[in-house]
Amino acid sequence: MLITQLKDREIIESLICGKAFVINCHGCKEVFFDEKGANELQKELMEAGKLTGILTTDYICNPENMKLRLERYAKQIEEADTVLVFSCGVGVQTVSEYLADKRVCAACDTFALPGYQGVTPLEYDCDQCGECYLNLTGGICPITACSKSLVNGQCGGAKDGKCEVNHDMECGWERIQRRLAQVGRLDVLKKCPVQVRNYATYKDINKE
Amino acid sequence: MRISELFERGEFVITAEVGPPKGTNIDKVIEEAKEYLSGIHAVNVTDNQSSVMRMSSLPVCIALKQAGLNPILQMTCRDRNRMAIEGDLLGAACFGIDNVLALTGDHPTLGDHPTAKPVFDLDSVSLLHCMCQLESGKDLGGNDLVGDFPKFAKGAVVSPCSDSVDAQLAKMERKIMAGCEFFQTQAVYDTDKFLSFMEKAKQFGKPIQLGIVIPKNAGMCRYMNKNVAGISIPDSIIDELAADKEKAKSGETGVAIAARIIRECKDAVQGLHIMAMGWESKVPGLLEQAGLK
Amino acid sequence: MEDYTKYKLKGTDELIPLLSDLDNIFVLACNKCFKEFETFDEPDCEKFVEFAKEQGKTVTGSLKVDFLCNKTQTLKKLQEAIPEGTENIFVISCGLGIQTIADACPLPVFAASNSLNYQGHHGMALTKKACDACAQCYLNITGGICPIVDCSKSLLNGQCGGAKNGKCEVDPNKDCAWEKIQQRLAAQGRLDELKNQPVQLRDYSKVNFKVINEYVKSVREARLDGYYGGVHPSEKKELAEHIPLVRFPEPDTVVIPLSQHAGAPANPIVAVGDTVAVGQKIGEIAGFISANVHSSVSGTVVAVEPRLHPTQGREVMSVVIKSDGKNTLHESVKPRKPLEELTPDEIVDLVNESGIVGMGGAGFPTYVKLKPGKPIDAVLLNGCECEPLLTADHRVLLEYADDVIYGLKAVMKAVAAPKGIIVIEDNKPDAIELMQAKVEGMEGIEVAVARTKYPQGAEKMLIKRVLGKQVPSGGLPADVGAVVCNVSTVKAISDAIKTGMPLIERVVTVTGEKIANPGNFIVKIGTSAKELIDYCGGIVGDYAEVKAGGPMMGFLLPDLNVPIIKGSNGLICIESDISTEVSCIKCGRCVDVCPMELKPLYFSKLADAEDWLGMKERNVMDCIECRSCEYICSSKIPLVSKIKAGKNAIRGMK
Repeated sequence: MLITQLKDREIIESLICGKAFVINCHGCKEVFFDEKGANELQKELMEAGKLTGILTTDYICNPENMKLRLERYAKQIEEADTVLVFSCGVGVQTVSEYLADKRVCAACDTFALPGYQGVTPLEYDCDQCGECYLNLTGGICPITACSKSLVNGQCGGAKDGKCEVNHDMECGWERIQRRLAQVGRLDVLKKCPVQVRNYATYKDINKE
Repeated sequence: MRISELFERGEFVITAEVGPPKGTNIDKVIEEAKEYLSGIHAVNVTDNQSSVMRMSSLPVCIALKQAGLNPILQMTCRDRNRMAIEGDLLGAACFGIDNVLALTGDHPTLGDHPTAKPVFDLDSVSLLHCMCQLESGKDLGGNDLVGDFPKFAKGAVVSPCSDSVDAQLAKMERKIMAGCEFFQTQAVYDTDKFLSFMEKAKQFGKPIQLGIVIPKNAGMCRYMNKNVAGISIPDSIIDELAADKEKAKSGETGVAIAARIIRECKDAVQGLHIMAMGWESKVPGLLEQAGLK
Repeated sequence: MEDYTKYKLKGTDELIPLLSDLDNIFVLACNKCFKEFETFDEPDCEKFVEFAKEQGKTVTGSLKVDFLCNKTQTLKKLQEAIPEGTENIFVISCGLGIQTIADACPLPVFAASNSLNYQGHHGMALTKKACDACAQCYLNITGGICPIVDCSKSLLNGQCGGAKNGKCEVDPNKDCAWEKIQQRLAAQGRLDELKNQPVQLRDYSKVNFKVINEYVKSVREARLDGYYGGVHPSEKKELAEHIPLVRFPEPDTVVIPLSQHAGAPANPIVAVGDTVAVGQKIGEIAGFISANVHSSVSGTVVAVEPRLHPTQGREVMSVVIKSDGKNTLHESVKPRKPLEELTPDEIVDLVNESGIVGMGGAGFPTYVKLKPGKPIDAVLLNGCECEPLLTADHRVLLEYADDVIYGLKAVMKAVAAPKGIIVIEDNKPDAIELMQAKVEGMEGIEVAVARTKYPQGAEKMLIKRVLGKQVPSGGLPADVGAVVCNVSTVKAISDAIKTGMPLIERVVTVTGEKIANPGNFIVKIGTSAKELIDYCGGIVGDYAEVKAGGPMMGFLLPDLNVPIIKGSNGLICIESDISTEVSCIKCGRCVDVCPMELKPLYFSKLADAEDWLGMKERNVMDCIECRSCEYICSSKIPLVSKIKAGKNAIRGMK
């Protein structure tokens, strides 16, 4: 699951180059999208005569629906020098491919939301590392719960049980230690061999 | 020479650390080390300490070696992937640098290049493992090394006054499993906490060097208490420093405090590691006051 | 469809040592998400159980679950699923499911699967496009081709030297991203833009964990706040919420359907040529669940015939009256005894006599609600107006606050409820403030503020939110001691007592981005929707459609020559949707939002197979048709139509 944030206003204005057509994707309806900020900005741009039109829709990552909806606005898109897409990176790429001869720009930056592609934003995150470490760590993920993704234990940076990078975040290895003690499995960590991560992707491995 | 051999001989091993310059001139570092640190067993050279970019550790180690000192190469996992680390280790061995201190490294966001990519391909444990592999003639890819294999005294750090003692002890055990031969500790101020940690760490049977940072003034102490992990400076020490600003400034108070800590703890440890942080000149005096010279 | 399988069973080389000193295993498997929704079950679970048994292990049981990471639903199932004697739990899922279980179970939890390693996040349409969420979108300098995901080295400053025949050095089947970027920018004449870019350096610190964590927390809270699920569509209330009520001009002719309520249509008691007065009964209640109907004008009956109905989509018997413009009151319209002197039965009779029905849209005869036959603890006054765009109830709260409270008191008296709670969503702060001031010091009446979330106004959600009680499957609010009334309904009750006027007019919002001049009007029942639209300046722009009600549950009006009825809270002019249904990708969003905690995706599949019993087993009858699932569906599947088909078939089976 992805969330977005508006790029700086100056950057968005500099992207327009003449006139722009705006596509808003309210997509996953979960998207951390500054709807109000985007509306205000677009209203001002519209009043300044910089826009040929605005389309607010959803799931532009679905190419079939995106095409159907964009067709209605063919004329406004034709008139525009730039198509400005307010969506996650998947949406911008989908529109770019469909309008391959058009200057398509992203007005947002995209962040990842914990819960990857799970059903709902979770307090857990799975980085899809391909070599699940949860058996060694009592079910707390060292890849996502530790800022450094350490797989052999705590670093020296934790202060008051908090992560050195983010003081609001509890040290992942502190939690792991606690959980393992709780379920009486501290020996698991002691017995397992030194962990060295395998960064080859699933596709690379499958090729062999 | 490998300091592991010194520990084996039962010596009380004293080391201190120097930081490479943020620039190309290393004369000052080498001169100071020669002047103040030639009497001790070995000199650590830090590796982009606190995620602040400086000259890399390896060339400074080489220069120290050439100047007749015994360097310890500090190696973090923050800035290099496993290939770069292995390459540097082979390079170090080639120049006769055979002491390596393995660290994970602070996160880049804490230093002066916050936008840099954090690597952490390896961590301190897998770095120790990596050294063992090289010593056995294999790299981490499982390939054979050609010719002579390196041999290191492999060290790591531990934070005895950390709030998470259990996690630190567990990690210490992992490091030993991965081939660690000696430990240097984070700066110690709370001797009770430290001695109780040593009681627990004794079981591992590995030499541990007491870490000392000479306290410069009350402000520095308060800052470290707030921001530096694993450091807890008792109020009594802060009060002591605040009592006479002049004496603190000259280093007199700080050296006295550090010497006292060393005296209280030295029987429980196998060595001493001094992080002078610019006060290298105070090292000989400190050792004298601590009764180690 | 791209294959986005998330995990696979660990190999025996990993499983054998893992199992070695563990026994009495319970196996929990996720049925996977983001895949073609053909099979209900994945084979991994059986495979692992078989394997564990081969290793001489006791398997205490196994359970396959959809969307294991859906904590709320999974934990409910888990409570009874794990048999006694279980010592270890093995989970087959991606890391999310495993962590969810590990966090919730006191027993040791193990992963029997590994996630698969992909770069980038896919969208909700399972195409080849992926986004790495780098927080610094580079697509603007690369013609919309992502250099992070599509280049194996994630290079930002141009092609490396490794491409061969336009293919990547890492994977010869993959096009070199920078080759594609070069071509696209050349075709668009934008190569200079790229050349003139400053050197690009990635900022790896840009992801702000604090912001994300807080956001996730807030989304989770919202999702589970008050009741499970729900959605939050763009409110768009600003179009009309500030516009004061205006009396709509006297219609020339009114068309008053005899069926404006749930239950049997009223029987007509006037004939063509009859003269009628305002408030005169023209349709008589016909059965226990039915309602009286009154004339909203004075004039002459010109027809009693079937006319097109706004929400039923067909012609129903209606009384057509030509107004004489005089608004002569019928003799029956006269103030009743004050509330203090009315008995509960008198109130119920008056409500019945006045033809009052639920004005939130459902149109359930109110007098039936006022005879619950069970002790009532609280009357919930529904001022949520959770549908986007609509502002009718909001204006009623602001402009008829005293009447609303008076009507609430009448309902409380009728059902002998000690407590009345006015529930208002937090997007109407002015109404909240006003009502709080009005009820200050009133015994038994309070204002409850609810976080804005659709479908809050649905009775069952409202009760759960405010009273924390769950109306049983197939049950009524009275089963948990509650009566729910809409604010416009109690305003009508107040009118009936104070002036004796039956329900002949209501507040209607005309709004939407496709109407020239939005507004809130007091409109006589029977007024043509077309007159309202025309009065508001008509429709502007292309691709507009008009709905009676809100955008979520409203009815499309292909023909505007339909009357405003008792339940018509709004006419909205919005851009029509255009979409094409594609197959379900099992993204699970419908499960995530269904406030009744159902699994709508199965209804789609089962309805297509006409497996009505299967739908019944999955509690399709509990569906409140709020359309949240259809709204969130990325495959644009008309879920509610399929659910309705299932419900009708099941009703027919009885």
